[in-house]
Parts: sequence; structure tokens; C-alpha cells
Amino acid sequence: MPVRVGIPRGMYFYKYYPFAKTFLEELGAEVVPSPETTKEILDSGVKFCIDDACLPVKVYHGHAYKLRDNTDFILVPRLTSVSQKEYICPKFGGLPEMVKYSVPDLPPLIDTEVNLHRSQKDLKKALFKLGSALKIKNPLRLNNAYNKALAEHHSFKSKVFEGNTPNQLINGAAAKNKIEGNHTIGVIGHPYLIYDSFVNMKLFKKLEDWGIRFVTPEMVDPHIINERCNELSKRMFWSSGKSLIGGALYMMDNSNIDGLLLMTAFGCGIDSLAVEYIESIARKTYSKPFIILSLDEHTGDAGYNTRLEAFKSLLDWRLTDDNNISSYGRSVHSY
Amino acid sequence: MIITYPHMGEAYIAIKAVLDDIGVESIVPAYTTKATMQLGSKLSPESICLPFKIMLGNYINAIKSGADTIIITGSCGPCRFGYYGPIQKQILEDAGYKDVEFIILDSPGEDFKKFISSIARITGGRFIAPIRALRAGYKVCCEIDKMNELVYYIRPRAINKSQVKAITHSFRSNIVNVKGSAQITELIRDTVNKLKAIELDTSFEPLKIGIIGEIYTIIEPFSNLETEEKLGELGIEVHRSMTVKDWADNTIVRPVTGRKPYTKEKRLSKPYLPALIGGHAQQCIAHAIQYAKHGYDGLVQIYPMTCMPEIVSRSILPQIEKDYNIPILSLIVDEQTGEAGYVTRLEAFVDYISGGREQAKAAIN
Ligand code: SF4
Ligand code: SF4
Repeated sequence: MPVRVGIPRGMYFYKYYPFAKTFLEELGAEVVPSPETTKEILDSGVKFCIDDACLPVKVYHGHAYKLRDNTDFILVPRLTSVSQKEYICPKFGGLPEMVKYSVPDLPPLIDTEVNLHRSQKDLKKALFKLGSALKIKNPLRLNNAYNKALAEHHSFKSKVFEGNTPNQLINGAAAKNKIEGNHTIGVIGHPYLIYDSFVNMKLFKKLEDWGIRFVTPEMVDPHIINERCNELSKRMFWSSGKSLIGGALYMMDNSNIDGLLLMTAFGCGIDSLAVEYIESIARKTYSKPFIILSLDEHTGDAGYNTRLEAFKSLLDWRLTDDNNISSYGRSVHSY
Repeated sequence: MIITYPHMGEAYIAIKAVLDDIGVESIVPAYTTKATMQLGSKLSPESICLPFKIMLGNYINAIKSGADTIIITGSCGPCRFGYYGPIQKQILEDAGYKDVEFIILDSPGEDFKKFISSIARITGGRFIAPIRALRAGYKVCCEIDKMNELVYYIRPRAINKSQVKAITHSFRSNIVNVKGSAQITELIRDTVNKLKAIELDTSFEPLKIGIIGEIYTIIEPFSNLETEEKLGELGIEVHRSMTVKDWADNTIVRPVTGRKPYTKEKRLSKPYLPALIGGHAQQCIAHAIQYAKHGYDGLVQIYPMTCMPEIVSRSILPQIEKDYNIPILSLIVDEQTGEAGYVTRLEAFVDYISGGREQAKAAIN
């Protein structure tokens, strides 16, 4: 029987799942992703994780716990850095430890470190190490798996770039983000917030029902993101923060985008600076509808929906009223 | 140019010594108070970590007393501290403090030319005098550490604890009035002599608590509601895991002399956290192990709300608690931390570990 490797559906799942799946399957493993987030998963995450961690980390703990029975290993990589001279967030670096010391009854973790801070080439080395955790050392086979995984990753990324959301692509329903509607908005936030429909209380579904198209940072050309981040007075050293800031700056200048929706995790260290920065720019220069939704495990449906609806009416109102009076207001924008 | 810098515990004493010796005019920001913190918080992003807010308050106080240039160190990740400078600068500008210059000392490795020009900007282009001043500043750090260790020893044992408080507080008010490393050292030695004259109950065997966690909140007494003093007055001999001298050792002395920083901490923490994640998470774990090995009775971890690296270390500490059989209390601080609740938790913890010792004694008898 092939070894079963579990992959928790949290953190950078919606960024790297196709990559990891291909690589592991090429090595003969059976890949078992945890199901989409549910109340039960969130609750067990909240129970096991230390209480002052951010929501995404708690959700991730719940996913790891969900995989405890039906897997031989769980892949919880240490993603110290996924691009040169950049980090993601200290919690990504310490994720294997957080899970290992908080969640009970887990099978062994595969906690290979991916650290591309020095060079992008270190990815291959990391994957070879990952292979040896599964007792596969044949360099030809590893190399082959690596190439296939990379190819899959690139094809996945380009599909996202074309407007498909990662959750649609991975969760099956590969419908394109081709909603018939009047508005297009930018949705800015970490992938585990905006692509996890339980965590964000079905945001995309709501937008679709309202006929609102959307663009996410993953659908923006990375070169543009890089370029826009050069406007910062100091080099942005978090790739996570970079895509939020670069994405938002680009979308704010784009006349086809009618409003901006920011999603932030309560207590997120990166957001406390990145979202703050975006907000300060928006306050000074952005006249279109702008909303920040902050999520934690206590966020209730009702207040959330009210604010979303207020945002939508601002979009509608702007469409019927060409005067373009600044609609940026604290009303929809309070936390 | 009148320089200022944010407070972090005794750091100001060493920085003042260095700047005085070079002959650069500087202002020590007023000691941090609740008002300072509120001033900083009002202008800061709501969910930024506490040190950011307090530092911002320090700057504004110093600017109001005439400072026009702020120096801080920087870094390029992985933690938020690396981004403090640019954002604080922006906030000050937006708040109307437009003519304030920020000199951010990033590591020379990031941009060597910029580093040298920043140093030149501070020293007026001189490089020899500053080196001598830095050495003297380092010696001041050593003196401060010695004085603190003495205070840690004396506080729980003093017959009259208010004497310790009186001496340490008068040190704090006098230090800003003396100039240069020589006078500063003299005042420290003076204070040490006064402390040594305090009458002690040497037969008393206090419990020992090690203080670990995020560097700023353990070094800056205001931010941790004077935990050291409070524990000392409860009859505990405390020890703080990081000091300004350690920071200088690992950030300046070791790199300059070609040695790797924090080697011991990395080795000790390796079984629990084998990678650098940012902040001082590895150090926190290593210090916990070290104190446990040295027979400490308990540990207090302190960190700011939402501090990313310390949230990771806090997840690991329960394992250390088990493996080394040492009780650990985690205290999270932010601008809303209430004195009463905080003290209650400290007292309960002290009770808990004293109970532990009594039980152990009973078991031995
Ligand atoms: S980036 Fe923010 S939300 Fe993500 S793990 Fe770090 S602190 Fe949590
Ligand atoms: S270590 Fe903690 S307090 Fe320091 S910058 Fe990072 S999050 Fe803030």
C-alpha cells in the first residue's frame, strides 16, 4: 500500500497544493488533503492552538487534527522563505513546532524547511530532503518529480492568473470567474482568507450572486506587484505583505476596478503594517468604495453581511451617480 | 542636529554615554509613562505590537523637548521591527512633525554605503572618536548588568525593601544629569556602593524566577509593569534573560569580530526549534532550558500581544515545562493591560511555585 501523506487545507494550501500533490504522487505517495474547512475543523483548531494565535493558524491546527487517523504522515513544511531575500511571516517558520506541540495524536510530520532567502535554487535541495523523508533517494526519480511538480505549479498559476480562483480549481468546480455583472472589485487578503469560503463566510459566492466580478493579488502580474512595491521607502521583506500592497496599489490605479475589499485576520502581524499602509494611501488618494473586513473566530454572519451589503450599495450608487463624490467612509469601514 | 532615540530599558544610558563622548548633542526622551503610551497608541496602527506604540510616544516627547533627529536600528525581516522605522517616520510626518530626520541603522550587509553614510551623519564624519566611544559605551553596559544583578540579589533579601526602591529610583533621576561615560560609570559605581550598604537577611533563601520572552518587553520595565521590581518585592530573586549588553554583544561585537551571534542559544534551542524564525524565539526557548538547568523554580515569559515569534515560542514552552519540570507563566502585554489583573497573576504564580517547593521539601523529609 502506498504511504498516505496528509496535506492540511490551510495556510498556503491554495498556493502550493497542486505542486505538493504532483511531487508526492510522483514519488508514489497517496495524497490525502483534509476536507474544506467546517465548523468542526475550526472548533478543534481553536481548542488545540494557543489562544492568541491568528485565525488562519488556528484553522490550520484543526485541519492537521482532522488528518490524524487516515494518514501515515502529515506534510507541515517549514516555509521560511519562498522567494529570494524575502520571508513570509515568523509563524510560517514556526508552523511545524506549533502544530507538533499543540495538536495531539498526530502521525509523524514531514517538516522539511523551504528557505529560498539565499537563492531560488535551494528549492530543489529542499525537495530532495522531502523525498528522503519518504525514503526516496534516487536522484533521477526526484528530479523527474520536481520537474513535473514545477510544470503543474506553473500551469496552476497561469490558470489563476487568467481569473480562476484557486479554490475553484482545486475543489473541483472549475468554472471561470466570468460573472455577468456591472462591477469589478479587487479582493485583497492572504490566500487562506480569501480562498477559504468557510473562513470568509462564502465571500465569492455572495459576490457572484450579486453579479460582482473580482480580481485577487494572485491574478495580478507579479512584475507589476514588484514594481509597485518599489514605491515603498523601505524594501518590503515579506512576500506575503508584498502581494497585498503591490496588488492593492495596482488596483487602486486601475480604472476598470470599481472598489477594493480588504480582508484581514485579526491579530495578523503582517496585516498590521501592510493593510495599515494600504489604508493610509486609500484615505489620501482613493475615492472609490473601500472596505476592510477583519476576521476572527468570533466574527458573526450578521455584522459581516451588513457591512458587505453597505459596500455593495456604494458600488451601485457610484454606478448610477457619476459625480463621483468620495464614497470612502468610516461607515462601511469600521472593524 | 539634536539626536534622540527610543527607550528600551537601560539602553539610553549606554547610548547617552556614547553620544556624549563623541560630542554629539542628544536628548534622552522623558521616561515612559502611561501618557507616553497613549500618545503613541493614538497615532499607531491599532494592531501593531506594543513596542512600536511606546517608541512613537518617546519620539514625540523628545521632539517636543527639541530633538530633530531620531536614530533607531533596523533589520530586514523576518519580524515587524524591521519595518518600524519607515512606518513611524510616515506617521510622524502625517501628524505634522515634518522636519524630523530618521536615521535607520540597518545591518551593513543590506546596504553598506548607506550604513557608513548614516554613521557619518551621526558622528559628523569622524570615525576614530566614535570607536573609542563605542568601547566606553560597551563598558557602561557591563557596569549596568553588574548593578542589575546586584539588585536582583538584594531586593528579595533586603530587610527594608523601600531602601532598594529609593536608591534605584534616585539613580534613574540622576543619570540624565551626568555627562559622558566617565561620569556615568561613576554614578553607577556610587549606586552600587549604596546598594551594598543595605541591610540583608542572608539566611533567607528566595525562590528564583527567570524572565524570558520578547526582548523589548522584558528589557523595558514600563512595558512589563515593572515585573522585576514586583517579583523582587514579593521575595523572589529574578534574573532577566536578555540585557542591553547581550544585545550589543550579539548584534555588534560578535559580527564585527567575525563570530556568529547567539551560538549557545541556537544549540540549546535546536531540539525544539531548529530554525531561525525571527524575533528572539530561539533565544526564549534556549533561556528557558538554561534556567531550568540552573535550578530555577519558575519562569515568566513576557511578550506583546500579537507578537509572532513569541506566539511560536509559547506553543513550545509547555513541552519544556514537561521535559524540565519547571512551571512557566506567559504574560501578554498591550496598552490595555491592567495593573490589578497582572499583579494577581504574578502573585498566584509565586504562590504556586512556593507550594511546589514546600511539597518537594515535605517529600524529601
Ligand atoms: S501572515 Fe498573518 S495571518 Fe498569516 S500566519 Fe502570519 S500572522 Fe497569521
Ligand atoms: S518580535 Fe514581536 S514585538 Fe518585536 S517586532 Fe516582532 S512581533 Fe513585534
